[in-house]
Amino acid sequence: MALEVPAGIPKEALQRLLVALADDELILGHRDSEWTGHAPILEEDIAFSNIAQDEIGHALVWYTINEQLGGKSPDWMGFERDWKQFTCCHFTAFPKGDFGYTVLRQYLFDVAEQVRLKNLASSSFTPMKEAAEKILLEEGYHLMHSQSLVERLGNATEESHKRMQAAAEIAFPQALGMFEVLTGEEDLVNAGAFSGNTVLKTEWVEIVAPVLASASLRIPVEKENGEITLNAKPDEGGRKGWQKEHLKRLVHDMQTVYKMSPGGSW
Amino acid sequence: MTTNSDTHLDTQWETYEVFHQTKRGDPHIHVGAVHAPDPQMALQMARDQFARRLKCTSIWVIRTADVARTDYQDETFFARVIDKSYRDPKAFGAPIKESADGA
Repeated sequence: MALEVPAGIPKEALQRLLVALADDELILGHRDSEWTGHAPILEEDIAFSNIAQDEIGHALVWYTINEQLGGKSPDWMGFERDWKQFTCCHFTAFPKGDFGYTVLRQYLFDVAEQVRLKNLASSSFTPMKEAAEKILLEEGYHLMHSQSLVERLGNATEESHKRMQAAAEIAFPQALGMFEVLTGEEDLVNAGAFSGNTVLKTEWVEIVAPVLASASLRIPVEKENGEITLNAKPDEGGRKGWQKEHLKRLVHDMQTVYKMSPGGSW
Repeated sequence: MTTNSDTHLDTQWETYEVFHQTKRGDPHIHVGAVHAPDPQMALQMARDQFARRLKCTSIWVIRTADVARTDYQDETFFARVIDKSYRDPKAFGAPIKESADGA
């Protein structure tokens, strides 16, 4: 089924946005799946495997819309594309680290996704709006789960607090990279496709800052007279395809089985 | 970390028993247990373990340690030595599926 882009929305930029959304979901989903069989608690093992499947499912939704706009198939995007062509933010691709980092990354990502999806749910591009509304239903649970863990681990024991604080210091600048401005984004904003990453970033900070504070975690954010200052250098470049070595390894792992028999089915 | 109070030390969190209801008004049925640090997390864990694929309208969780239970070794607790068959509602054709000795 081919989709028409309404007049005024630049198609190329729209596809760039769709692929960025999808790549974030696919790559973080893969990282989450690496806990299968290894999580510190059996129930978390199952929970993270479940979340991994959900995220990969969301990636499929975005890749499918991209395909309907004339892009490559979801399978091609996931299994045949060169790692340097992925446009996920660096944040989603970093190795899973310890469980504290995984939990914090998931929380920061879940809030970003919530903010993005709520915004896309009033997109002028109907297929995107409808997909966002559907995915939001599943994301509510992800957020509840990761936020519960962050609040508990941040305040539980000296050791858990120490690890969560260490994770926060690493993850926060990385997480800002989720909001790297896309090429051609201004035209999408003007066409009402979404509000743009700068707006989303502010909304995201407004939500995560008080939650992290309640978890006794310090992040380099200052707020004075309603004005937010971020004292961290965002880890950007992913949206432009400037990827790092650990994405190369991840993509290699992810594509190995597929490449044994490209196009095969069972 | 709190451990399950009963017999063996557990490297996981304490356990919560999970009760699952598939239709509003139906009884909550015991379906298993989950490890969790507190009741709220236990509900989330239970959702993942027992309500992800099955239809579910409600879940209850209760700390395993808070469940009072009978002892399998205590044979007198359920003993029915004297014939009390006159108390069984068999004359009414009630749908009794289990035999009187609880098998």
